Amino acid sequence: VKKEVISKLRQILAAPCVVDDETELLVYECDGLPLFKNKPDVVVFPRTVDEVAQVVRIANEYRVPFLPRGAGTGLSGGALAIEGGIVIELQRMNRILSIDVENRIAVVQPGVVNLHISQAAAPHGLYYAPDPSSQMSCSIGGNVAENSGGPHCLKYGMTTNHILAIEAVTAKGEIIRLGNPAGEPIGMDLLGVIVGSEGTFAIVTEITVRLLPKPQAVKTLLAAFHSVEECSQTVSDVIAAGIVPSALEFVDAKTIEAVEASVYKAGYPQDAVAALLIEVDGFRDGLEETSNAIVEICRRNRSYDIRVAKDDEERAKLWLGRKGAFGAMGRLAPDMITMDAVIPRTRLPEVLVAIDRMSERYGLDVANVFHAGDGNLHPLILFDSRYPDQVDKIFGMSEEIMKLCVDVGGSLSGEHGIGYEKKDFMGLVFTEADLDTMMRVKRVFNPDGLLNPSKIFPSRRACTEVGKHTTTSTAEIGKRVEEVLLGVGGPADAQSRRPQAYRQGPAGGPDAQEKPHGKAPR
Amino acid sequence: LTIDGISPSKVVRPESIEELARALSRETGAIVPIGAGTQTSFGNPLRRADCAVDLTGLSRITEYVPADLTIHVEAGVTLERLEHTLLENNQFLPLDPWNGPAATVGGIAAANAQGPFRAAGTIRDWIIGMKVVEVDGRISKAGGRVVKNVTGYDLQKLYTGSLGTLAVIAEISLKLRAKFGRTATVVARFSDNEAAAECVAAIRKSPLQPVSCEWIGPENEVWLRFGEDSRAVDWQLKNVPAVADWVVSEGSDEAAAWERLRNRYNAFGPLVMRVVGLPTAVREIVEEYRPAAWIAHALNGIVLMQLSSPENIRSIRGKYRAVIEKAPVELRREIPTFGLNNSEYELMKQMKDAFDPEGRLNPGRHVDGERS
Repeated sequence: VKKEVISKLRQILAAPCVVDDETELLVYECDGLPLFKNKPDVVVFPRTVDEVAQVVRIANEYRVPFLPRGAGTGLSGGALAIEGGIVIELQRMNRILSIDVENRIAVVQPGVVNLHISQAAAPHGLYYAPDPSSQMSCSIGGNVAENSGGPHCLKYGMTTNHILAIEAVTAKGEIIRLGNPAGEPIGMDLLGVIVGSEGTFAIVTEITVRLLPKPQAVKTLLAAFHSVEECSQTVSDVIAAGIVPSALEFVDAKTIEAVEASVYKAGYPQDAVAALLIEVDGFRDGLEETSNAIVEICRRNRSYDIRVAKDDEERAKLWLGRKGAFGAMGRLAPDMITMDAVIPRTRLPEVLVAIDRMSERYGLDVANVFHAGDGNLHPLILFDSRYPDQVDKIFGMSEEIMKLCVDVGGSLSGEHGIGYEKKDFMGLVFTEADLDTMMRVKRVFNPDGLLNPSKIFPSRRACTEVGKHTTTSTAEIGKRVEEVLLGVGGPADAQSRRPQAYRQGPAGGPDAQEKPHGKAPR
Repeated sequence: LTIDGISPSKVVRPESIEELARALSRETGAIVPIGAGTQTSFGNPLRRADCAVDLTGLSRITEYVPADLTIHVEAGVTLERLEHTLLENNQFLPLDPWNGPAATVGGIAAANAQGPFRAAGTIRDWIIGMKVVEVDGRISKAGGRVVKNVTGYDLQKLYTGSLGTLAVIAEISLKLRAKFGRTATVVARFSDNEAAAECVAAIRKSPLQPVSCEWIGPENEVWLRFGEDSRAVDWQLKNVPAVADWVVSEGSDEAAAWERLRNRYNAFGPLVMRVVGLPTAVREIVEEYRPAAWIAHALNGIVLMQLSSPENIRSIRGKYRAVIEKAPVELRREIPTFGLNNSEYELMKQMKDAFDPEGRLNPGRHVDGERS
């Protein structure tokens, strides 16, 4: 990027809001997927929609690639500046603009942390339903871009079902508003196609979300099994019984081992081959009976240990293990890749067996902790980046897992997105015609391809970035994020603008800063 | 077959997606996709028609996996048939569009047709994938066959509500849910708007979660439908705001009541608007524009109103988003159906051009008929 572009950016943004120092830029060389890296040329921190629009217009003027970035917790490389250019960091736009209790909506800026919406709505008995495991750190703008999920989308749906309206800056720098608080598409559902477009259609600068009343009661239970088959059968039987759990999560032995050895210790039975974390919520009346019906189904499938949480504290503890599982993996290996794939839930047993065999063949441990209710797998491949051959194997193994899932009628991603990571797998599920149609839609929104280039669509060129053996540990990235955000050579007021809960650090959950880690040599 | 006074010179009735693709690839004139024909007067007026494509021949349920809670149906499958199929496994979809069970699934999606189940969502929330045939005959798909999926762009959302003007919907994959353990409906009549509005406000502030909440005027009736586990329905019935004498109905009486409401809506006309506001604005909408009759999805802030003259449309659109639900063709020629703002219009127009540059799919019915 020319010096001229940076000086233009400095004309519209205050000095600390334009970062082009080589060291500081390291923070932005990747997102939550550290396998792929490339430094942007410059990172800007706009505070208003007009500033975003002006940056986009400058990028257009000089034909420089640009992309939005939220908390950088994405797991498919969506915020990776693979062609360099300008990263538009939206974390400064982090205000909750309004909460309309009677109409059950909140208007928020894209940099607001997912969980902060529910916290702000809590005094009114309301909450925001989609709860990705990174909800303590991920931003709502990133959720909109990725159409994020989470354990509770089994009952409540994905991000797309909860976004009512947006303000956005187009790829050309125009400010538009789409949708309305009633969530009623007028004409074509442009909002519906922007949500989940992974930052390739527009930069969302304001979001109206639906809030839901908190359920009267919640029942959470953990059931342990001696076999994966019995565990999977339980999943099918619960669904077949017409029960709509709010969450139905699968945890395997490897995950339990990691969790129980970590600070997320939840008292999961350590002799279990697999366990299910099942939650039902809704009206108090009838919930006990539903919970009992689930216990009965677990028993019928030979669950040998069933724990029903008696109070909120026990509930929180059961969830701690599940939500902390990703972070706890540091107990087993210095590095991990979180895979994401979906299969029809009836194909769970055979797919898990096949992944197990693959794990043996590649000599890499795999932990399985995932949303069983909707067939959304998360095989966690454990490795050590000090051994380049292990890194190479990951690419082979992840491709095999993708093919396996597609072969049984599944898909490439349930909630993490395609981004940079999986774009070359798109041909597994889509024909040339399918991709061509998607490309035509992309060109309507992003005619010059400057907005978040080289994402989603397969590239035929060789990926030189793939297989780089310079993987930065997530802990190290976290440290660098802290340095910059806390003002060590970075934007000076970053700390004071961050909400309290964030500054105190997350209390659990897999985010970049807290993965127990740090052994990999540089 | 006549739509907006135009009769296509020929009708083809493909019996497979491949046949549909061949028909479209051969056709060089204006193409009019049509399902059960229940919504041909919704949208901007048709401008040309050379070939009508009757999609009722695409009537296969291609796959139904009850244990996965998914079904894959061709566009011509009727809602009635879908419902019957699902009931065999105690499953269902909360869809009850006004145009009724004879409507095809493809038509419901194309028109984004809705009914009193609006409080529980629309067909958009249940579609997980779609196969379409584009104007040149190519087959393309979006989404997938699994209940949770973020692979590729959600083009099925774009096709939903596009009135067949981007591509012809050929097959739809839907996620399903278990049938409600029980449903029950309560109805109360109020003396005036104020009393009905107060009742609706009390429901909005209550923990009740009705799957339908309709405020019907000028009778000022409030209809609530609960669908849940039987005990949860019981609890809600007991906790309905005690502002009126509620009449409870279940079973066939309940079904008959909603059928009567559907007939009542279908008798609305000749001019019906869908006014979109906020739940708290429903009373204001009703009182400001004084419709002759209305049905409001009160928890969504949507009012379907029968207007006695088109004069109000401009002032309504000055304040709210409003879509023409029904109007004589002469009126629809004068007033655009959707009332799009400039940036919406430009994006939708470009979208139309990206799919159908010659404007041959349902010419005039959607964005291409919004501005003359």
